[in-house]
Amino acid sequence: MYEAIAFYGFSAILLLAAVLVIVSRNPVHSVLWLILAFFNAAGLFVLLGAEFVAMILVIVYVGAVAVLFLFVVMMLDVDLSELRAGFAQYLPLGVLIGVVLLVELIFFVISGWTLGPALKSAIVAAAPDAAQVSNTRAIGRLLYTDYVFVFQGAGMVLLVAMIGAIVLTLRQRPGVRKQNIAAQVSRQRGDTVTLHKVETGAGA
Amino acid sequence: MGQFLPALPEIVLAVCSLALLIAGAFGGEKSTRSISYLALFALIVVAVLVLRQPDATTVVAFNGLFKSDAFGRIFKILILIGSGLSILLSMDWLEREKIARPEYPVLVLLATLGMLAMVSANDLLSLYVGLELQSLSLYVLAAFQRDTVKSSEAGLKYFVLGALSSGLLLWGTSLVYGFSGTTQFDRLAAVFATGPASVGVIIGLVFVAAGIAFKVSAVPFHMWTPDVYEGAPTPVTALFAMAPKVAAMGLFVRVLVGPFGHLLLEWRQIILFASVASMLLGSFAAIAQKNVKRLMAYSSIANVGYALLGLASGGLAGVQGVIIYMAIYVFMTAGSFGVILAMRRNGAAAENLDDLAGLGRSRPGLAIAMLIFMFALAGIPPLAGFWGKYYVFIAAIHAGDIAQAADANLLYAAAVIGVLTSAVAAFYYLRIVKIMYFDEPAPALDASPGRAVEAVVLVSVLVMLVVGALPTTLIDASIRAAKTLLTV
Amino acid sequence: MAELLDLFWAIPTGLRLTLEIVLTVLALLGCFAYVTYAERKVLGAIQLRQGPIMVGPFGLLQPIADGVKLLSKETIIPAGANRVLFVLAPMVMLTLALIAWAVIPFDAGAVFANINVGVLYLFAVSSLGVYGVIMAGWSSNSKYAFLGAMRSAAQMVSYEVSMGLVIVTQLLIVGSLNLTEIVEHRSPVWLWILQLPMLVIFFISALAETNRAPFDLPEGESELVGGFNTEYSSMTFALFFIAEYLNMILMSAITTVLFLGGYLPPFGLMIAPLTWIPGILWFALKVAFLLFVFIWVRGTVPRYRYDQLMRLGWKIFLPFSLIWVLVIAGTLMATGMLPVRS
Repeated sequence: MYEAIAFYGFSAILLLAAVLVIVSRNPVHSVLWLILAFFNAAGLFVLLGAEFVAMILVIVYVGAVAVLFLFVVMMLDVDLSELRAGFAQYLPLGVLIGVVLLVELIFFVISGWTLGPALKSAIVAAAPDAAQVSNTRAIGRLLYTDYVFVFQGAGMVLLVAMIGAIVLTLRQRPGVRKQNIAAQVSRQRGDTVTLHKVETGAGA
Repeated sequence: MGQFLPALPEIVLAVCSLALLIAGAFGGEKSTRSISYLALFALIVVAVLVLRQPDATTVVAFNGLFKSDAFGRIFKILILIGSGLSILLSMDWLEREKIARPEYPVLVLLATLGMLAMVSANDLLSLYVGLELQSLSLYVLAAFQRDTVKSSEAGLKYFVLGALSSGLLLWGTSLVYGFSGTTQFDRLAAVFATGPASVGVIIGLVFVAAGIAFKVSAVPFHMWTPDVYEGAPTPVTALFAMAPKVAAMGLFVRVLVGPFGHLLLEWRQIILFASVASMLLGSFAAIAQKNVKRLMAYSSIANVGYALLGLASGGLAGVQGVIIYMAIYVFMTAGSFGVILAMRRNGAAAENLDDLAGLGRSRPGLAIAMLIFMFALAGIPPLAGFWGKYYVFIAAIHAGDIAQAADANLLYAAAVIGVLTSAVAAFYYLRIVKIMYFDEPAPALDASPGRAVEAVVLVSVLVMLVVGALPTTLIDASIRAAKTLLTV
Repeated sequence: MAELLDLFWAIPTGLRLTLEIVLTVLALLGCFAYVTYAERKVLGAIQLRQGPIMVGPFGLLQPIADGVKLLSKETIIPAGANRVLFVLAPMVMLTLALIAWAVIPFDAGAVFANINVGVLYLFAVSSLGVYGVIMAGWSSNSKYAFLGAMRSAAQMVSYEVSMGLVIVTQLLIVGSLNLTEIVEHRSPVWLWILQLPMLVIFFISALAETNRAPFDLPEGESELVGGFNTEYSSMTFALFFIAEYLNMILMSAITTVLFLGGYLPPFGLMIAPLTWIPGILWFALKVAFLLFVFIWVRGTVPRYRYDQLMRLGWKIFLPFSLIWVLVIAGTLMATGMLPVRS
């Protein structure tokens, strides 16, 4: 009973927020609605019993990714009317492609939606029994044991993305003075200050 | 730990690239040349490790995600050779263009790592990750000369279209998974062996094939090739034309012949269409080109067409044809790009065909090398290029003999078109020879392009001649490799 | 007393829980009030002043006087401000500062929600704090506020990374994300010493996370007037103020739970006179000590420059904590102490 209410509540707000992401005039509002949508998705995960995924969703997407989104959106002066200018022009084409894909999808569902023989056993294997293994452990086992090759590969892909961003954008500007903390800390009094005993009356 | 051993070359390469990345970050731009040499050394070590894996064994590791077999090994060796040659080609060029940065060899290593993972993939997931690692590194390399508009344009164009093709591939993958319940190749093959595949799987297969066809730049997914080849820095273009092509072609063969082997009749027509279209477009569009790099782009499209003809034939002979073709293609391309890199006048690249005029008199050695490569690309008998085309056409004819009537006619037709387009292609390859020897000489090119480039050209010439005369070793190795793929 | 407790347990569960929550929030607000007092007294002592002495004995009623002052002033919303977000921002801040307490174990069994992923919950909530600051800075439509918000966003995101890695080392040792299990876990002394650098990094990151000195650039009154809350006045300002101090208390509580053994006697000394003291008192004492360090640091360390702050976060803390994750994991693996459960 409570779960059903929570489910419909989360779902309704999620859908509403998702729609508002698209229709908001102000991009900053769009991002904030997006964050609300993330939250409700996390709520849905909690209802599923996948609390680990829910928390990770909040930490990664809301806590880090969306912050950077907001950062960029606030810093850039995005002119939405300019962006929307081409929108109407491409709308018919987009709608056409969407309709074609939808029709194809419906066609598949009613005509050829037969699942392979191995599918049933595969589904059982993909999701561990929640009563025996906690979902944190199950995710850990999948990522770090069963699919460790792909996991490491994905890590390399991200590394390349980082190298690429640095290679293509970082410029060493000449004439910029940088703080050398080690040099500052290792500076001794004797290096810079000398005391002279000056005779009375002999100073210039 | 034993379960990681089959992937030892990949692991060593990953560790080396990370170590060199750190070394490069601390060494700064001055260290580029030493990092390049170290990267070359790493590639050699990895090649030795690949060769030391026992030839007859097929090992599946990492919970079925990774497979080490003779087919993968021969492609890995080719990839490593291609990457190594491109690093050799790049060293002097980077310094001359003043863009020498240690990230360049590191990115080549990382791209190579992705390619090795691709040809060893035994699961749609590892396939995708390998492909993406390779592609992402190549996008960055294409834009490496970031201060020139052309290079940036090439990088951006490659990135946008590449991301689109990755999307296609992923969608196909998800369809295949959804309709068969597994992403693992062996299990997919077992599923398809039981009976006809559902429509969903076929659609998925088409999208997977489209995604990979983009990576090998087969028509109709070739549009990016000429622009990217022209815009990217020349050593990067050389790399594009060698290693990723070999890797993507190896992946293509592994995916279609392996898990989807039982669906041969479903995908043969697609591949045949791509093959014939690539041969036709590559040959005819190249005639109108003025820029050498663009010409090589169309030439590579045509070459992919020939290799795909072998794939479309299927069976032992077809796979063998692909392996032989790609092996020889790597060296033809390396040599040609070595000559293109030598085309500099007054410190700037001279990339038009006319700039080659009079090369026969001003630089006779270089001209003879170019002549050999062009003859090889045209497939003229005593040179290695001939064997590549020969085995592909033979495979198509044999496959036609045993195929059903409709497919047989298509295969025969494709083989005939292949021979005809070879003649067309011979026209523009030989035109280069004519420009070099008989046209009004253009002002002389700059002096030596550097030891490393000369070494690459020399090695490629030797390979063309030796393999042309004695192809047996290559043929034996290719048969062994093809057998391991087909017995699964 | 016992009758009173029986009466308390007789209340229906839902109502009792509500009552408990209200009491906890009130207690936290009381803590807030006297942390501000303590801060002024301690800072005063550090700077050889007396601090508040005028209102009440020893100035003890000063926080109440401040509260009354803030409550009775007029709330000003700037003309160009985004009204909804402007008002929402302090509310978000305070709500986030309060909901994190749901998973903190005050004593053995004294926790509102003893969830499996308590650490992640805390981490998630603390990473959301940045939204209050960003919303405030952006909706104020003021350059100073906006700059403060930008700094705050960059700073909090940066220090969260190393904070997460520090938590990972602790999780490796304990093998659970449940806070009570983390508190109850006993590790040998040498492992505790090995964790010491992580405690230091965690605490410094906590300073940055709460925008406290020496990382209080988002406020930066010397260059940004007042940072992200420049345009706020009266009650809206008070909410930010409360949230800042509650976050401080929260961070001290998290540090206590993760590293200092929570409600158990210090250094794992489960001997007679120490175990007589109730767990909640130990918890309070440890939190109070950390709060004192918060104030102590503010009184002694000058504010970092923005580039120094980023350098510390990305070039020192991140690599160090990454290496330390490896060291801890390797040590656990080598000594066979890795908590393996099927």
